[in-house]
Amino acid sequence: MTVAQPTAPTVRGDAELFAAFTISATFWLLLATAVGVLLSFKFPYPDLATSPYLSFGRLRAIHTNGTFYGFASVALTGVGMYVTARSSGIALWGKSYAWAALWCYNIAAILGTITLDLGINNGDQEYREWVWWVTIFFVVAVVLSAIAIIGTIATRAERYIYISNWYIVGAYAFTTILAVTAAIPFYQHGLGQVAVQGFYMHNAVGMWFTFLALGAIYYALPKLLNRPIYSYALGVLGFWTNLVFYPIIGAHHFEFTPIPWWFQTLAIVFSVGMLVPVFAGTGNFVLTISGRWERVRRSVALPFIVVGIAYYFLGSAQGTVEALRSLQTIWHLTSYTVGHSHATMYGFITFIAWGCIYGLLPKATGKEPNPLATGLHFWLATIGVTIYVVALSIGGTIQGLNWAQGDPFIASVESAAPYWMARSIGGTMMFVSHLLFAYNVYLMTLARRNPNLDASGSVRA
Amino acid sequence: MKGGMNNVVLLVGIPFLIYEVLAILMGAMPGWVLSQTPPAPGVVPLTAQQARGRETYVAEGCSYCHTQQVRPLKQDLVFGRPSIAGDYAYATPELLGSERNGPDLSNIGSRQPSEVWQYIHLYEPRSLVSSSIMPAYPWFFRVKKHADPGDVVVAVPPGYAPSGRVVIATQEAQALVAYLESLKQVPLKGAVKQ
Repeated sequence: MTVAQPTAPTVRGDAELFAAFTISATFWLLLATAVGVLLSFKFPYPDLATSPYLSFGRLRAIHTNGTFYGFASVALTGVGMYVTARSSGIALWGKSYAWAALWCYNIAAILGTITLDLGINNGDQEYREWVWWVTIFFVVAVVLSAIAIIGTIATRAERYIYISNWYIVGAYAFTTILAVTAAIPFYQHGLGQVAVQGFYMHNAVGMWFTFLALGAIYYALPKLLNRPIYSYALGVLGFWTNLVFYPIIGAHHFEFTPIPWWFQTLAIVFSVGMLVPVFAGTGNFVLTISGRWERVRRSVALPFIVVGIAYYFLGSAQGTVEALRSLQTIWHLTSYTVGHSHATMYGFITFIAWGCIYGLLPKATGKEPNPLATGLHFWLATIGVTIYVVALSIGGTIQGLNWAQGDPFIASVESAAPYWMARSIGGTMMFVSHLLFAYNVYLMTLARRNPNLDASGSVRA
Repeated sequence: MKGGMNNVVLLVGIPFLIYEVLAILMGAMPGWVLSQTPPAPGVVPLTAQQARGRETYVAEGCSYCHTQQVRPLKQDLVFGRPSIAGDYAYATPELLGSERNGPDLSNIGSRQPSEVWQYIHLYEPRSLVSSSIMPAYPWFFRVKKHADPGDVVVAVPPGYAPSGRVVIATQEAQALVAYLESLKQVPLKGAVKQ
């Protein structure tokens, strides 16, 4: 092992970068989920906030793109850069690229939010509603992030490239291809655009957020448990199967449309195949934790990662089941799908981001979060998202059954109403938990350091 | 693990190439092939006014709650006949949608041919359907003291109308309703009548 001991100033630079990404992500989390809460209350109170700039049709895309690209992408990029640098045994290479990336992520999110609110969008192309000149800033941000991360791995002090970095580097490589594939217009007319949209929307989730989050877990989980990952080989298996299976399953978002039947069937078959990487990942993580539950209980960060892993498994398995035609006939186009996307993007992705931030950011800055605020954050978010997902799963099923038995359409609206209200309650709990998280981010970054903890003195006071 | 994947060029390059191939096979190619789908007989491009209405439909995100895809399932037949590929030849950006908080609109022009109904419904949906959760779109209308010649006056039901004033549909509202009225599925030759 020839681990270069990084000097204090460069590590301080890494900590500042990690802190800046986290603060930026937290801002977008608060904004985009405040919008989400408002959207949810428009179901029981449709005449609430009647204004073009606060209307459901415009705010919905602001909520989804804000959480995806303003919050989760930035939070996980901050974590990913820190993980890459630590597992490479050096300070992050090319920090100016990383800072430029942070600016570009924010320019994209600001311009995207403003344009969507003005009704300027790409049409109902979920998660790519931003017009091309906004998306360019996001793609530049992804490429700049990739340069810093690949440069760090290329100049690493460690002999081997740790498995985390496979996933993290992959995320940036795949997302660059994906964004370009989605932006080229000449093969996207009518039904052709539907096919590209199915490919895009599932890959934006699967090849970007899933890879970033899995890469983060492969570093944070062993680090926080102070033991090696159970199986390196399972991590490698998960990497290749995710890479090959994920791109094939997008058409399951458009089952029963005029997209060729065999193409839909192929997507369904590989949706079942997704159980392989999901079992490989979940099994690997659970076996790594096995026997160390006491440590989880005493940790601030590990409970978030455990919930994230649980929702990774549940949400992914649910996705496989939803893809089966017999169940699609009931669940598709209902609120059930919205519950599923929150199980995965929130229960899985967001919880992993939080666990990694709570686990790694205090090590970087030398400043701890407030234990009570962290506990409240954890329980409000966990109970909130569980209420959210369960309510919409039941409500969505009832909607689908209403339709199947030939009730008038409005009957499905009336019978889903109490479950939409329950979703608002869960969603409000989730939002309150974000305020506590924001307070903790302040404590871990900008706040003055607690003098009792100020021992090492190697980081910014 | 000690082999090629510890070379950063291979670590980036091999998955990059694999994914590039998959992106072409599963994204671009199906897109290109299906983009060539010819219009079904009777499917015609929108008029200029209808196209402006469609732009409003897109800008306001109507498709987040209203699909334009009738599935070949019993529960969907209330919305029309099952959609076919040729229905979408002129539908870019596509508006198939992913959620039905409101009914499917593939064939709304035939199912609800009344422009009057559409105007009132856009102005305040709950004046026609009491438990509707659709947003109201008052910004598509102008409220005036008196109607001028050529104004499209909307007969808003009492209780929802501003007292002593008239509600006028803007050009934008007229275009949007023209688009909604244009959403009529062409009959399929030899199809069984519903």
